[in-house]
Parts: sequence; C-alpha cells; structure tokens
Amino acid sequence: MRFFYAVVSVCLVFSGCKTMEESPQKHGAFTRHYESSLFQVTKMGMFSVEMVVREHDLRTGVNTVDLILHDKNDKDVIGARIEVTPWMPDMGHGVFEKPSVKEKGGGLYTVENIILTMSGRWELRVSVTADGMKDSAAFDFPDVKVDRGHDHKMVESPTDLDLSTEKLTEHGEFRVSYKSSAAPVPINMIHTWQVRLKTPDGSSVSGAHISLDGDMPEHGHGLPTEPEVSEGVEQGLYLVEGIKFSMPGWWVMKFNIKSANKADSVTFNLLLKE
Amino acid sequence: MNKGNRLIKSIYTTLLIALIMLLMPAISWSLDLHTWSEDEKAVLRSLWIGSLPPLPEDPSNKYSADPKAADLGRKLFFDSRLSGNLKVSCATCHPSNMNFADSLPLAHGIGTTTRRTMPLIGTAYSTWLFWDGRKDSLWAQALGPIESPVEHGFTRTQCASVIMEHYKKEYSEIFGPLPDFSERDLPLQAKPSADEPVALKAWITLPREKREAITGVYANMGKAIAAFVGTIVPTPSRFDLYAEAALRGNPSAMLAAMTNDEVKGLRLFIGKAKCTNCHSGPLFTNGGFHNVGVPQPEKLPPDSGRSDAIAKVLADEFNCLGIYSDAKRSDCAELRFMDTATYKYFGAFKTPTLRNVAERAPYMHAGQIPSLRKVLEFYRDLKPGQRAADLEHGDLTDPELEQLDAFLRTLSSPLKFAE
Repeated sequence: MRFFYAVVSVCLVFSGCKTMEESPQKHGAFTRHYESSLFQVTKMGMFSVEMVVREHDLRTGVNTVDLILHDKNDKDVIGARIEVTPWMPDMGHGVFEKPSVKEKGGGLYTVENIILTMSGRWELRVSVTADGMKDSAAFDFPDVKVDRGHDHKMVESPTDLDLSTEKLTEHGEFRVSYKSSAAPVPINMIHTWQVRLKTPDGSSVSGAHISLDGDMPEHGHGLPTEPEVSEGVEQGLYLVEGIKFSMPGWWVMKFNIKSANKADSVTFNLLLKE
Repeated sequence: MNKGNRLIKSIYTTLLIALIMLLMPAISWSLDLHTWSEDEKAVLRSLWIGSLPPLPEDPSNKYSADPKAADLGRKLFFDSRLSGNLKVSCATCHPSNMNFADSLPLAHGIGTTTRRTMPLIGTAYSTWLFWDGRKDSLWAQALGPIESPVEHGFTRTQCASVIMEHYKKEYSEIFGPLPDFSERDLPLQAKPSADEPVALKAWITLPREKREAITGVYANMGKAIAAFVGTIVPTPSRFDLYAEAALRGNPSAMLAAMTNDEVKGLRLFIGKAKCTNCHSGPLFTNGGFHNVGVPQPEKLPPDSGRSDAIAKVLADEFNCLGIYSDAKRSDCAELRFMDTATYKYFGAFKTPTLRNVAERAPYMHAGQIPSLRKVLEFYRDLKPGQRAADLEHGDLTDPELEQLDAFLRTLSSPLKFAE
C-alpha cells in the first residue's frame, strides 16, 4: 500500500500516468502495473523494472526518471542499490556525470541528473543489486531530440523587444542599469559590464549578491563564458567581467539580485548585429 | 553657337536614354542581386578582410611581434631535426606550398593522429588552439606536437640540445644567454608525459632547477615558432574585392569580382542558410565550439572534443596564467572566465576559418567528409530535431547548395607570411 501511494503521488505530480491496478498485464511471473511506464524484466529474470520518464520524453540536457521495482513474487523491491548508466550504443560512449539515485520507498526510486550530451540513440542501462542478487536491464531510446533551450523550450523572438538598458526588477524591488565597456555590445569579444543597482527611489544599493544567466532563447544555449560579478569601488556599482556573445541575434541577460532584505530579478534584451 | 550646343546636348541625351533603355533589363535584373541593404552591408563589412585588425600581440608571449623571433621560428618550423626520426617538422603536416595544411584525413607525423591537421591561417587571432581548444595561445600550441609520440616524437631535453648545437647565437640574441647544460642534464628521453612512464621518470629525477631551465628554453622555442606562424594571414580574396566594391558603391568592380551565382551563394550564406551564426567575422569563424553531429569514424576511438579539453587547458603548464607566460593576470580573461560546464561541449569542436576552405579537403575534425559539396549536403540533411538551433539552415535546394559551394570558392587567396 505504501508503494501504491508513493507511485500515485509521483504520477499525480509529474506525469499524470494511469495505474493499471484493476487490469494488470502479465509478463511471465511479473506484472506490469503502470500504463505509461516502460516495462523491462531484467536480463536474468530476477526483477521487473518500470520506468516513468518525467516530461514524457528524454531530451538532451538534464533529465529525471522514476523507477519502480518488483520481484518475481510481485513484491516491492526495497533497499536496492541501483546504478543507471546513460550509453550511446552507436557512438560507443557514455557521459562523465553519474546520475544520482534516491530511494523513495515502496519500490520507487528517483534517478536525477541524467545528462544526455547529444541527440541520437541512447540507452539507459539499469543495474539492480538487491537481496544479494545482481541483475540489469537496458531501456532503449532510439531518437533523443535536442532540447530547445537549457531551461525552456525554444522561443521565437518577439517583434517588439524592449531593448532598454535601465529597468525596474520584476517585482519592483530595484532599479538596475548596465553599461558595456565596448559599445555597441560586441560579438566574439570578451568584455565587462558596469551594473548600477538602486532602490526604486534612486538610492544606491551596496553589498548585494548578483548572479547572471545569459541566454539565447531562439537557439537554446547560453554564453560561451562564465562571467563573474564583483562589487566596484563606487556605491551601488558592480562589475561583470568575462561577458562574451558568440553570435549575432537575440540574447537575454538575466540578473538575479539579493540584498540584505530583498531578492528580485531583471532581464535585459539585446539584439546583436555584426 | 548656342543652338549647335543645344542640338549636340539633345542628341547626347537621346543617345544616353537609348543606351539606358537598351541596358535596362540587364541592369534592373542585377540590381536586385547586387543591391544590399544597410544591415546586409554591415554584415559584408564584418566579413571583409579590411575589418581584420592588425596582428594582435599575444600578452603571454612578449616576443610575438619580434621579427628576430619570427626569423628563428621560421627556421624551427621547417627543421626536421626536431623529431625522433629526423624526418618530421611542423611543415610536414603544415607544408607552406599547400596553404600550410596537408590533404590527409588524419595528420601523419611519426605515427597517425586521431584528428585532421588544422589550417594555420590567422591563428594569431585565435583564442583557443587545436580542434578542442586545449591550448590558449599559439606558442603553447606549437609545443604540443613536438612532444607527441605520434607527431614529432621528440622531447624538450632533445630540443634544448638542438638549440644549443644549432641555434645558440640566434637564441641568446632574442631570449638572453642559453643556460649551461651538460650532457647529463639533457637525457634523450625525458619529458613530463603521463603516458610515457620511462620518459616521465627520467624527467622528474632531474634536479628541479634543471627542469625549469629546460622547460624555459622549450617555452621560448614555442614563442619563436608562434612569432612566425602568427604572421600567416590571408590576402584579399575575390569576396573581399566584391565586399569592398559594394561598400564603396562601385558596381563595375562588384560585377568584375564575383559571378552572379557566387553572389547568390553569398546572399544565402549571410541570409537563409545562416552560416554566419558560427562563421562570422573577417576570418569566418566565431572561434567557438559546437557539436554539429558529424559521426566519428568507426576505426577511431570516441572523441569527446572540447569537453575533455577544458581541464587540460586549465592544467596546462604553458597556459596564460602559468609561470612560463609573460601575461599579467588581467590579460588572461579568456582563461579566467572560460565556461567549465563540460557537458555542454561533449563532441564539440572549434569552428574553423573558411578562408581558403576550398583548398583544404577533406573536412571536419577527423577528415570525415571528402568535399565541400558533401559538407553542405551534410548540414542540409541533418534531421530536424537532431540538430541544434544554431544549425537551422533553411530548406536549401540543390541549386542553392551549388551557389553556396561557388561562394565558398571565392574565399581563396594566396597567404602572406614572414619570409
């Protein structure tokens, strides 16, 4: 029963999958419990593994899946050691970052940080060690597609982009402006921005923590550098070093700002031309 | 008198109008093709060789603009005594009579490497060197192949011996006196190579001062070679003549520089086919790393490209922040702010220059594709959904591929370098 709740809650939250408790499918000694899961019996027939892919589809980038394990007697497999290896059979390589597996109870395991580095055919190889037995299964994903955007789907450029270099943050907590050390903002040249941070009524804000996320929404990639933000000598002045734009087009620069008592963010649009 | 003048004038005017009317179809047709908007002109200007800044000085190599260093570098570049079998020089894979790039799919020195020889055109302008960018300067790059067992198969101790024996005077005129090395200080097979335990042991058992002195000489050799290689630049190509004529508004020079098909190819290149996403600037490269999905040849081991090189360049003893570099910390922005998210660069390789691209088959990082036409077909035939958004090239037709092919051939020109 515990297992049932665990899976139902996962299904409700993430994928809306339908349980098949009323009409279970038999696979030899094993039972398939979930309609939207991918079902495999391990190679030596010790366990069944059901995989539920969140967002319905693996994509390039970071993915999460849920695994539900049963043994031959249709009992939840508890306390298993599970390793998941993403593998590209046609290219003969895997990835550097290991996915992390967390046991959620009731035979449910969540596998996070599955980083697929390119499009094409992938396998998720699952090895299960439980009750002194070791067995494995491989799930085939013949056509993993490019994720359009590192945090989002690919977005078409709006026709009326707000290109202003001074803005109020989203919730009106700060007024932010930037000035590039090279004007117009250059392509393929590393440069520095000066960012001024003020309260909405115009007094300078020092000591804030600012982080930056640069992105090309139509292309789904970010900056080719890791810029660093440091506080300048003047009150409310911050330096962003190491900014580089690798191609012409629409870029967005999102600043996340945290001061002693407020947090907010602001997004600037840039339309870069050769 | 007045009347006569007027008559002549009106005859001229009539003749002129007749001439214009005669030429009208031809002119109006080519006007479309050869008329560029202000935005398009800005792109033409950015690709034009006139936008290439003067040769930049490399802050990590204070000899990069020294003609004496370039002179020594040129000799070292062609010197096959700098190899294990006395047959391999830099010019083996970078022959000067072939645009400094051989025509093999995989570079071949003492053995065969796993990648295609890279072009040396305009490398002084490169931020990252090699296909995977595992070096951050031209001088650091020049030192890689010399100690590679499949390229020169040589060692820095042997290099110091060659400098002592053959280049002592020139070396000391540029870099100051050559350190005193006895024969014992320069064992033949000694280098800090993690793959060659015998040579590594011989190297680390040398006294530390000797190792630093030897590596100092080796670094200077790289700096001299870089001073020479950095002078290799393109000269104006037919495209440049066209772009310059377009920017100056000189239609006859435009028509003389490129054929209509080539100009159609240029329009595609900067427009529908979006080649300038990556092939931008006067060297036709953004210097960035992209996984374009070109399959790795079966006989070669998998190649992770840039993602494997990120730690290598950070750990490189010859990088911008290392003790052999002449740069200040503030000169090393590219290294300090380098993107370390390795997973983004799996299988990514550097965008190569397209200058002289037609002279340089086969193509891609392991010479997988034999012709320009096939490269264009490869990009066109990438399946939607399996290509990055940077690689959306529109639905190019066969004739359009031919026009692009024709345009790419206008980027050829003789190279200029310090002789």
